[in-house]
Amino acid sequence: MNKLYQKKHELWLHITFASFAIGNEEIKSRLYDFSQIAFRHMKWLGEDILASNQDYNYDRDMSLKKEASVFIIINSLVKEIEAIQELYPDTILGERVKTDDAYLLEYLAQILSFPMNDVVVTSFNMKRVWLDKNLSQEQIDALTLFLFEESYKEYELILIYAYMQARTNDALQFNVFQDLIDESHFHLKSFGNMMAKLGILTLPRMLHEMTYIVKDLKQFVVDGIAEEEAAKVMCKELSERIKDAELSKFFDFINYQESYHIELMKKLL
Amino acid sequence: MFEDTKVPEGINKETLEHLMNPQNYGKMEHPSCVGVALDEKTKEYVIFYTLLDADTIKDAKFATNGCQDTVVIGSMFTQMIINNSTQYANTAIEKIVKKLGKLSIQQQICADIVFSAFKASLINFEHIQNGEKEELHLLKMKESCEVVEDKEGESNE
Repeated sequence: MNKLYQKKHELWLHITFASFAIGNEEIKSRLYDFSQIAFRHMKWLGEDILASNQDYNYDRDMSLKKEASVFIIINSLVKEIEAIQELYPDTILGERVKTDDAYLLEYLAQILSFPMNDVVVTSFNMKRVWLDKNLSQEQIDALTLFLFEESYKEYELILIYAYMQARTNDALQFNVFQDLIDESHFHLKSFGNMMAKLGILTLPRMLHEMTYIVKDLKQFVVDGIAEEEAAKVMCKELSERIKDAELSKFFDFINYQESYHIELMKKLL
Repeated sequence: MFEDTKVPEGINKETLEHLMNPQNYGKMEHPSCVGVALDEKTKEYVIFYTLLDADTIKDAKFATNGCQDTVVIGSMFTQMIINNSTQYANTAIEKIVKKLGKLSIQQQICADIVFSAFKASLINFEHIQNGEKEELHLLKMKESCEVVEDKEGESNE
């Protein structure tokens, strides 16, 4: 529907998942910052598309390359960033996006200039072992299913809320959607990094338009509150099953965040 | 790259592969027919695209907002039915159930929603053949995951 929007969506995901895949904390953190910038590009490009009476969707044509080393991941990102440049419009926004990308390319070149950065990536090895934790197989299984389920849900929520935010003229709704998007970004980041630790990092599946084109906001919010309640139950169950103090505390913390999401969603009713 | 990786017991390797990389997932550009199965209580749906050549399923794709069980079963089901007859497809879900072993009530409902979406696509095909203009055919599910969760919750008390 809109090639630039689709490519930006794919690039946002690639930068985000490169950040999850790479173990070096400094590179991980910098790439995550760039992924958030790419998400804002996507938002602004979407606003321009709607302002010109066109539309966009969330189709994508990509797979996550399960690369075995940091340099292969970085080189693949470089190619993708270079390829998207010709699609940017000659506008103030287009110039802004190009200069952001140029700076990212410079940072990626810096990473590539230090051979010691090229270490093995274990995020896709499917071993499902958390090295510094003593988790039983049953606990690992429960965690695996939770992470697949919830990483998809967070990605889904980010895109649904962004879709609705781009189409509302109501300031309260706009702010609530922004809060919910920010919260889901944090959850996706947390779960993505956990998946990488377990060696099961994978892209969330693509959203079908039946999922994100919301015709009845009130019903959507009512259903969404029920889903948040279900997510709370899942977090609580997982927290009880995982016999690791640090992880249990984390899932309790997520559980309390879900409670507040319900309060935020009630403001939309 | 990781062909020799040994997956620990519990979630089997095949299921993990379907979880990490669901097959035949997404939209189809020019399907012969489209079906949707909807759980009205949870709003979970499966949309199923079928490309037919006479009685042979040449291609199949699905998408869902449902749980991982639905994704795994949809992925396995589409793999099994492509290049097979619709008659074979009608027995494929049973074969998957046998392959996966004992399913919980919730997993059976996930299998049912996938199969219902496929059936809806065949109904859509019949309608199109009869000259009707139907973009897709919708089947509403009789059983809901939500009710099952409630029942299971009650039985655990």
